[in-house]
Amino acid sequence: MVTSQDFKAALWRWSDALQAAAPELNTLDALLGDGDLGATLDKCASNVREALLSMPTELAGILKACANACAKASGSSFGTLLAVAFLTASKGVCKSESLDRAGIVRLLDETVAALSSRGGATLGDKTMLDSIDAIARALEAAPDDADLHRVGIEAARVAVQQYRQKPNRIGRARMFADKSIGMDDPGMVAVLRMTESLDGERDTQPY
Amino acid sequence: MKKILNRPDDYVDETLEGLVAAHPEGFRRLGDDGRVIARAAGAVPGKVGIVTGGGSGHLPVFLGYVGDGLLDACAVGNVFAGPRVSDCQAAARAADGGAGVLQLYGNYGGDKMNFDMSQEFLELEGTQVRSVRVCDDVASAPPEERGKRRGVAGMVYAFKIAGAKAAGGATLDEVAATATKTADACRSIGVALTPCVIPESGKASFEIGNEELEFGMGIHGEPGIWRGKLKTADQLTLEMLDRLWAETGLARGDRVAVLVNSLGATPPEELYIMYRRVAAVLADKGVTPVMPLVGRYATSMEMAGASLTLMPLDAELESLLKAPANCPFWRV
Repeated sequence: MVTSQDFKAALWRWSDALQAAAPELNTLDALLGDGDLGATLDKCASNVREALLSMPTELAGILKACANACAKASGSSFGTLLAVAFLTASKGVCKSESLDRAGIVRLLDETVAALSSRGGATLGDKTMLDSIDAIARALEAAPDDADLHRVGIEAARVAVQQYRQKPNRIGRARMFADKSIGMDDPGMVAVLRMTESLDGERDTQPY
Repeated sequence: MKKILNRPDDYVDETLEGLVAAHPEGFRRLGDDGRVIARAAGAVPGKVGIVTGGGSGHLPVFLGYVGDGLLDACAVGNVFAGPRVSDCQAAARAADGGAGVLQLYGNYGGDKMNFDMSQEFLELEGTQVRSVRVCDDVASAPPEERGKRRGVAGMVYAFKIAGAKAAGGATLDEVAATATKTADACRSIGVALTPCVIPESGKASFEIGNEELEFGMGIHGEPGIWRGKLKTADQLTLEMLDRLWAETGLARGDRVAVLVNSLGATPPEELYIMYRRVAAVLADKGVTPVMPLVGRYATSMEMAGASLTLMPLDAELESLLKAPANCPFWRV
């Protein structure tokens, strides 16, 4: 069960983690994209941090404030896609104060659908959608006594590994898709770093 | 990089500062980072607002066409990079006179995503929004995939005609329908001779030999149809016309708007050498050119090259094209 209080606390860790990961993500993105993914997420994180100071108390409002914060980060597509993800989740939670496992899986699935329709990627294109979907499937399949944080982190890490030897099929990297084989998708690594940050007791691990 | 600038990172903001200082009667700067340009006179109550947006480096596109009988506001991105979603929203709010807002912009993936997101936020606030994208670059996708084509100089006609329609008091749906009709009518193709340098990265938008040109290249250096030795102006112009002609459906007795546009460095002399050939071909085919535009309308900074746009006209499009309009870059 995730309450809005848990979620706010997690957002502080989420922004710390994104800012810490910015150089790593810039470097990865320089190989496949514009090299600005870390900078974009750094700005998203600082905007979210600023917004946290005056955030509402219910989940939908918190998620919508996050969407707005990401919408003013930059013109880069990843910032916009994060805004899409937050706004989709905000609409999905309605007025509830907490989310159970099934609710989280449903939100992740709705988010994948929204990101796909906005950004044009489909599952298998080697994007963050594949990571989010892997997390949703793993959460769904986990036994009742599982540590769901751990399940999510493991799924995100395995997704990065599984897609390493596949080509990028969308975005700038698709123009040299063969060159992208063997490289980690920066967006998928970003999702891994975000997922890790949601668990307060675990540190960033190599993947 | 050989450019007149201060700090590369200040390129866009200092351009906007100078632009507003030079034309305070036309433009004002809005938004939390000053990345929205709006009509100085503000939104017109009861009129449909028209907004656009996109990367910098294309003046007069995009923000240059904010003016009377044209656009109401524009969201401004970095050079060749999309505007922020929040600036698209701020532009729409500045343009909203209570009759709804049309988002009218070029068909690029990032811009589409940001304007779609802006529309979603605006609709949550209760603003009526429609979006129309211009896809006029015939080199960027075959006719059966027209929706994938990039937006280039044809945007100028879309801004003008939608602007005139809105100024005439039409409803949001009517303005959107006319903008769609205009966007559907425009066909463009470009040739590139030299690249431009993106100030923030210091890198050229593409590389090309001294004796070479690229036919069909996009305004950000996107690959074209062929690359080869320079040709004469007449040969090039004929090949460009050829590429456009079949898709325009023009026949003897028709009327057409013609835009011969410089991508930045190509001087008016060379554009007129091209227009000379266009006029001769049109005369030969019995098609009448209407209000030909020859000059810098949609550029890529210092890129050398030109584009040709044709827009077949019906009575509605022609009268809206000729309706009064005024911005610092163009007066009709």
